[in-house]
Amino acid sequence: MTPTAPAGAPAAAQGPAGGDAPSAREVAGRRWRSSRAIVAVLLALAVIAVILAALRPSVSPDALDPESPGRDGSRALAEILKRNGADLSVARSTRDALRASTPRTVLVVTRTERLTTDDIDRLRATPGELVLVVPGPDVLEALAPGVEPAGVSFTRTAAPGCGLQAATLAGTVDFGRSDTYTATDPLAACYRTDIGHRLVQVRHHGRTVTVLGSARPFTNEHLEREGDAALAMNLAGAEPSVVWLIPDPPEPGAERQKSLGDLLPFGVKLFVLELLVAVLLVALWRARRLGPVVAEALPVVVRSAETVEGRARLYRASRARDRAADALRAGARERIVPLLGLPRSSAQDFGAAREIVAAVAQRTTFEDAQVGAVLYGPEPADDAALIALTDVLDDLERQVRQS
Amino acid sequence: MALTGRLGLLALLGAAVPLLLPGWGALFAVWGVLLLGVVADLALAGNVRALRLHRHGDTSVRLGETARVTLTVENLGRRRLKGRLRDVWPPSAGATPRTVRVDVPAGERRRIEMTLTPTRRGDRRAVTVVVRSTGPLGLAARQLSRSAPWTVRALPAFPSRRHLPAKLARLRELTGAHVALIRGQGTEFDSLREYVVGDDVRSIDWRATARRADVVVRTWRPERDRRIYLVLDTGRTSAGRVGDIPRLDCSMDAALLLGALASRAGDRVDLLAYDRRVRTRVEGASRTDLLPAMVHAMAPLEPELIECDAAGMVSTLMARVRQRCLVVLLTELNTAAIEEGLLPLLPQLTSRHLVMVAAVSDPRVGEMAAGRGDLASVYDAAAAERARADRRRITAELRGHGVEVVDAPPDEIAPALADAYLALKAAGRL
Repeated sequence: MTPTAPAGAPAAAQGPAGGDAPSAREVAGRRWRSSRAIVAVLLALAVIAVILAALRPSVSPDALDPESPGRDGSRALAEILKRNGADLSVARSTRDALRASTPRTVLVVTRTERLTTDDIDRLRATPGELVLVVPGPDVLEALAPGVEPAGVSFTRTAAPGCGLQAATLAGTVDFGRSDTYTATDPLAACYRTDIGHRLVQVRHHGRTVTVLGSARPFTNEHLEREGDAALAMNLAGAEPSVVWLIPDPPEPGAERQKSLGDLLPFGVKLFVLELLVAVLLVALWRARRLGPVVAEALPVVVRSAETVEGRARLYRASRARDRAADALRAGARERIVPLLGLPRSSAQDFGAAREIVAAVAQRTTFEDAQVGAVLYGPEPADDAALIALTDVLDDLERQVRQS
Repeated sequence: MALTGRLGLLALLGAAVPLLLPGWGALFAVWGVLLLGVVADLALAGNVRALRLHRHGDTSVRLGETARVTLTVENLGRRRLKGRLRDVWPPSAGATPRTVRVDVPAGERRRIEMTLTPTRRGDRRAVTVVVRSTGPLGLAARQLSRSAPWTVRALPAFPSRRHLPAKLARLRELTGAHVALIRGQGTEFDSLREYVVGDDVRSIDWRATARRADVVVRTWRPERDRRIYLVLDTGRTSAGRVGDIPRLDCSMDAALLLGALASRAGDRVDLLAYDRRVRTRVEGASRTDLLPAMVHAMAPLEPELIECDAAGMVSTLMARVRQRCLVVLLTELNTAAIEEGLLPLLPQLTSRHLVMVAAVSDPRVGEMAAGRGDLASVYDAAAAERARADRRRITAELRGHGVEVVDAPPDEIAPALADAYLALKAAGRL
C-alpha cells in the first residue's frame, strides 16, 4: 500500500484478499445461475397454460343454433325433427320459450351460459319436459337440484348401460369430451364413466329433467356418428312439440352485476388463498435475518479544505472583488519579491511598493504605471476585470521568473 | 426458528391441489403436511446450544493487510448439525466469507477460516456467531446466536517506513562512519586517534600528544541519549481529511518514522496523544519495544471533535519532562487554534525545551490557488491565497518564538520531519 492510497477508504478493502472486480460475463453468469430456477418455473407455468387453453373446445357464436348449417350448428337435427312431424319452434328468449311451451312440449335448453339469473328464474315455471344441454352450474342448481357435476370425461364413446328407452334405442353414442354428473335419486343414469354419468334424468316439480353432458349429439358435424342422431331425436322428440331455446346473448347490463367472487369457482378461491399462504411463508423466510445488523460508529468525514472553499463561496456570494483582488495581489507579491532579491517582509509592506514596482518594471515588458496598477491598483470594476487581473498577475510573475 | 425457501416452494406447489380437488379438506391436508414437516424439522435439527466455539489466529494486523482468524465449531450434541453459519463482525472489519455452509456430524469439529481486511484503524471485536441449523427435510431451521469473542487490532499502516533506510544512511553519515567530524556544539567526546593529514588542528589533544610520541586528535560524535517527546494533537483540527486520509493518520505516520529513526540514533522517544485529556501515552519504552508500543498505542486513536486544550497539554508536558528535550508537536497550522491556544504558552515551553511543530498541508489549497478561467475559480484562488497567507503568518510567528516548523503535504510530511530532525542532530541542537 502506498502512502497516497486512502487508508480509510472502502477502496482499501480491496487489499490482497479483495481481488479484482468480477467481469460482466461473470456477473451475468452468476445472475443466470441464481435466477434459472425461477425462469424454469415461469416457463413451465406458461407451457401448462398453453396446453390447458388448447385442450378447451372452442365455441362459435351460432353453435347449437337450429338455423345454422355450420359444423357445430344444429340445422340438420331441426330439419329431421320437422320431417318426422314434430312441431319445432325456435325461441330466442326465455319469454318466447315460455309462451310456446305447453305441458306437452319438450323444452331443449342450449347455451345456458347466455342465461341471466332472471331467465333461469323464469324457466322454473316451464310446464313441460326439460332437456338441458351442457348446463352451467347455476342452471343445474336451479332446474335440476340433486344433480351435481362430477368432472370431465375424455372417453369418446360409451354404451348406454341403463334402462332409459331413448338411450337404449340409440345404442353407443360418440360424446367426445363430456361433462359427467352424479344424482342422488335419478330416474335414469346412462353412459357411465369412472366418475359419473354423461346423461342423467331426474324428476323435479312433477316434470322430467334430462341433463346431457355433451352437445355433440346435437351438432351437424357429429350427427351421423354412432347413435348420436338417434339419441338427440329421442330426447328432443319425446313429445309432439319441441321448443328449442337458444338465448341471444344478454344485453350488457341486463343482468344484475355479479362480483368476481360469484364467477370464480370455489377451487380457484382456495388456490388464491393457498398462494397467499405461500407468499406469506416466502416472506417469513426472507424476513428472518441470519444474525443482527451490526451498528458501528463511523469516523467524521470533514474535508480539510472545506473552510477555504466556504470562504471562496462567501466571496462570490457577496461579490467581494476588493478582498479577492487583495488576496491575489498579496499572493503574487509574495512569490515575486524573493525573485527580485528583496527581503520577504517587503512583500506586504506598502512603503516598499515603489521599489518593488520599479524592479518588476525593469525585468518585464510592462511600464511602471502598469505594474503599479496590477500589483497595488484599485478594486476591479467588474467580474471581467477581476478575471483579467489574474491573467495579468500570472503574466507578470512568469516574466519575472524568466528574466 | 427460521423457515426455508423450500417450505415456500412446497406451499406454492400445494396451491395446485385445490384446483384439482376443490374443497377445504384438500387445503387443510396440504397445510397439515407442511406443518408436520416444519415440526419434524424443528424437532430433528441439530442442537445449536450443544456447539462449542473456539477461535485462534491473528490478533493484530497492519491496516491494508489481511488477518486470518480460525473459528472451530465442535458439535457436542447427539445429532448432526447442518446449516449455515455467519460470523458477525463490524462492517469495517472487512470479514469474509459472510456466511458459510456447515455440516458437523455429532462429536466432530470443523474449522472455518475467516479473513479480515480492516478498512480503518482500531479494535475490531467479533460481535457474535449465528448458526441456523436446518432440519433433515429442509423445511425449517433453528437459529441461535452464540458468543465467540475475539479482537483484531488494526494497526496504523506506517507507509513511510520505506523512507527509513535512506534516513538511517544519513544518520550513519552523521555519526561518523563516513566523514571525519569536527568538534561542534551538541557533540560529545568519542575517542582518540592518530593525527592524519587533513584533520582540523584545533582537535589535537595536546595532553594526550604529550604522553605519546605521536600527535593525537580527539574525535567527536553527535550527542546520544537525547529525549524526544512526540505530541499528537487529536482535537478537531486532526479530523479534517487531506485527500482521503484524516490529518491524524498522516501525523501518526510521520511520528512513527521519526520514532523509528530517533530510537536507532540512540535517542529516547516518548509519545503523548492529547486533546482535552491524555488519550494515550508511551513512555520509557526500550529501543526494540518502541515501535510496537507506539503502533499499539496509536491504533485505537480517533480524532475528537473538540478544541484542543493547549494549556492542559503544555502543563502535562512540563510536569512529565524535567530535563531538556525536543518536543515535536504534530498539529495543524490553524490560525485560531494556534493564536489563541499555543502561542501565548510558547515562551513557557521554549524556555526549557526545543519545540518543533509539524503540520500537514492540504494539496487541494494549492490546486485552488492555481485555478483560473471563470469567476468561481478566481474566487477559489483568492480564498486559497488568503489561507496560504494566514499559514505563512502563523509560521513566521512560530519561528519568531524559536520554534522549528515543518509544513508539508501528506506524502512528504514524514520524510520532511525526519530531515528536520536529522538537521537538528547534525547541528547538535538537540
